[in-house]
Amino acid sequence: MGLETLENLKRAVIEYDTEGAASWAREIVKKKVEPIKALDALTETIRQVGDRFGRGELWLPDLVGAADAMQAAMPILEEELKKTGAERKSLGIVVAGTVFGDIHSIGKSMVCTLLVAGGFEVHDLGVNIKAEEFVEAIENYKADVLAMSALLTTTAAEQKKVIYTLKEKGIREKVKVMVGGGAITADFAQSIGADGYDPTAPGAVELARRLVGR
Amino acid sequence: MLKGFTRNFKPLEILTQEQVEAIHRATLDVLWQTGVTFHHVKALKLFEKNGFKVDYDEKRVHFPSGLVEECLRKAPSSFRFKARDPRNDLIYGGNTVYFMNMPGMQTIDLDTWEPRVPTRKENYDGVTVLDALDNCHFMDAYSPYFGFEDVPEVMKIPESCAAKMRNSTKVQGTGYSNDCEVFCIQMSQAVGADLVGRCIAAPPLTYYSDAVEAAFRYIEAGFPMQLCAGGVIGATYPATTAGSVVIGNAECMAGIVLTQLVKPGHGNTVASFTLPLNMRTGAPAFGQIGISLFHVVFNQMWRRYGVPIYGNADTPSSSKKIDFQCGYERGINLTINALCGANSMLFFGGLHGELTHHPVQAILDDDIAGMIGRFLEGVTVSDETIALELIEQAGPIPGNYLNTAHTREWWRKEQFVPKVADLLTYPEWMQTGKKDCIDYAKERMEEILATHKVSMPMTASQEEDIERILNEARKYYRDKGLISDAEWAVYMRSLESPNYPNA
Repeated sequence: MGLETLENLKRAVIEYDTEGAASWAREIVKKKVEPIKALDALTETIRQVGDRFGRGELWLPDLVGAADAMQAAMPILEEELKKTGAERKSLGIVVAGTVFGDIHSIGKSMVCTLLVAGGFEVHDLGVNIKAEEFVEAIENYKADVLAMSALLTTTAAEQKKVIYTLKEKGIREKVKVMVGGGAITADFAQSIGADGYDPTAPGAVELARRLVGR
Repeated sequence: MLKGFTRNFKPLEILTQEQVEAIHRATLDVLWQTGVTFHHVKALKLFEKNGFKVDYDEKRVHFPSGLVEECLRKAPSSFRFKARDPRNDLIYGGNTVYFMNMPGMQTIDLDTWEPRVPTRKENYDGVTVLDALDNCHFMDAYSPYFGFEDVPEVMKIPESCAAKMRNSTKVQGTGYSNDCEVFCIQMSQAVGADLVGRCIAAPPLTYYSDAVEAAFRYIEAGFPMQLCAGGVIGATYPATTAGSVVIGNAECMAGIVLTQLVKPGHGNTVASFTLPLNMRTGAPAFGQIGISLFHVVFNQMWRRYGVPIYGNADTPSSSKKIDFQCGYERGINLTINALCGANSMLFFGGLHGELTHHPVQAILDDDIAGMIGRFLEGVTVSDETIALELIEQAGPIPGNYLNTAHTREWWRKEQFVPKVADLLTYPEWMQTGKKDCIDYAKERMEEILATHKVSMPMTASQEEDIERILNEARKYYRDKGLISDAEWAVYMRSLESPNYPNA
């Protein structure tokens, strides 16, 4: 019975069915299926979606749709997991967002989805995020990696400000910083003291793995 | 005044009248039901004062159809942009078609095709080349490059504006960011020219405060405005052309309503930088045919509203090289947009998206714009061009037309001769060392840079004003903490060059 419900949850994700995914997650909780199993099933499903995207079989709307469905189910299962006191292993905790003054979200969301698919715990703060908000989230979630995006040349400089603020708050050494976005180059990333840059979303996952030593 | 080109035949239209009206009704419905967000209190109050429904919590304006149509009627169908040299003034509207340059963030290396930040000299040389090209009628904002070496981020637009004033007398546009338009407006007023003011919606259906504040400033200065919508189809706009045009229309209309409330009769053009999303990478997909489908519909709608059409995302390519893909993507989209009634088009020198520009590409584009412009002019049909008498005189073989006064007079009017295309026969081509159009364009660039003189050099007092305003901008941004110590030191050193401002 539990297995069947898990299959339904996985199907909801690959059919981009947000409501269905949430509903099957609640069903899993009701049926006392171990939440860790359901979370693993979700991660495995989104990894398969990510692989199919990488092979060119799926496109961006498919990837985003599956990620949304997964995100609908995840909090329900995580809440249940907390109650059991169990912990889930991830490759690392990532705080991500597009910097202040910049409202471009597509590239950042792609990276977040593929990071989740790659086994990271990701906290996507959204767009137009101020340096202080990044700092707060890094401390709150005990993040291993900060991933910042900026599409515009005019907002790229904001990434520098965030890194400066991390130093000011004395937490720069506790978190690896990766940057990306249309306006960013490897030279720029180096000049602002970031730990890594990659121009592509799949490349960003590899970069995050290297940064956390996996 | 610059004549540009005249489209002497009906524009390409692909919608029926019923389809036009369906999109129009949907646009008005979106403006009323969904509304448009304005992050600008002064604008919200202005809308409310004039009878629009304003939700201050949401910063959302709901536009009654009658008021929208009234404002559209007030927007003029034609107006003039003043250039520094009056011979380069533009009369915008009707069947007139102008070409402008496509700016790029960076230049490219013509051997490796890799992008890099241009030098100050390359930026000024780039302006000189655009000034010299007959078919490039004006220059867009941030041109030719978004910035150049050693210039801090916040000084890029004022420095770019000054470069265009110094090395060209053509009309130029500008951008807005961190109040830079204040300095650009002052520089334009100092040389007695208009700027193409700009106010860009953030898709979908949102205007941020910097865009609106810039609009107020341009209108106060009396500069005609470009209202620009522009979403990414499938991301910030719906995946369908019709749905995307509805939002693009609504965004432009909201902007026009604002300008007409501030100053009835103020000149506006509408533009849309709309293009599909690359569903593999998440980046905008430049050069794709969906861009032309959008523009052919958008342009048909705006001819109905009688507002001149600026044109925008028509022509950048996805290619990184000056190559076959770059040629077909840009050539096809430019041709379609020229045929479907745009009054101007971004084109010269732009290569990959807005990321790269090169003067050699601009020289190649001078030929493409010349070809398309010649086509737009159409065909003259008269007794003289039908040439019945001449045909009777020449008769069948051995009659011919080469050595006739008629041919001497008319061939140049009827044909367009490109300047850098390879038009040779094989033996001639072998003798040149197999030169192609890029080789010829490079040679033409060297010739232009060695010989071209701007039609009206700046007077000493104008130059003094430009430098004074630049210094005020430098101080303003330094005092605001937007230029770091390190950036300032590099920037100040660059200004000490004996060849400043050109190198």
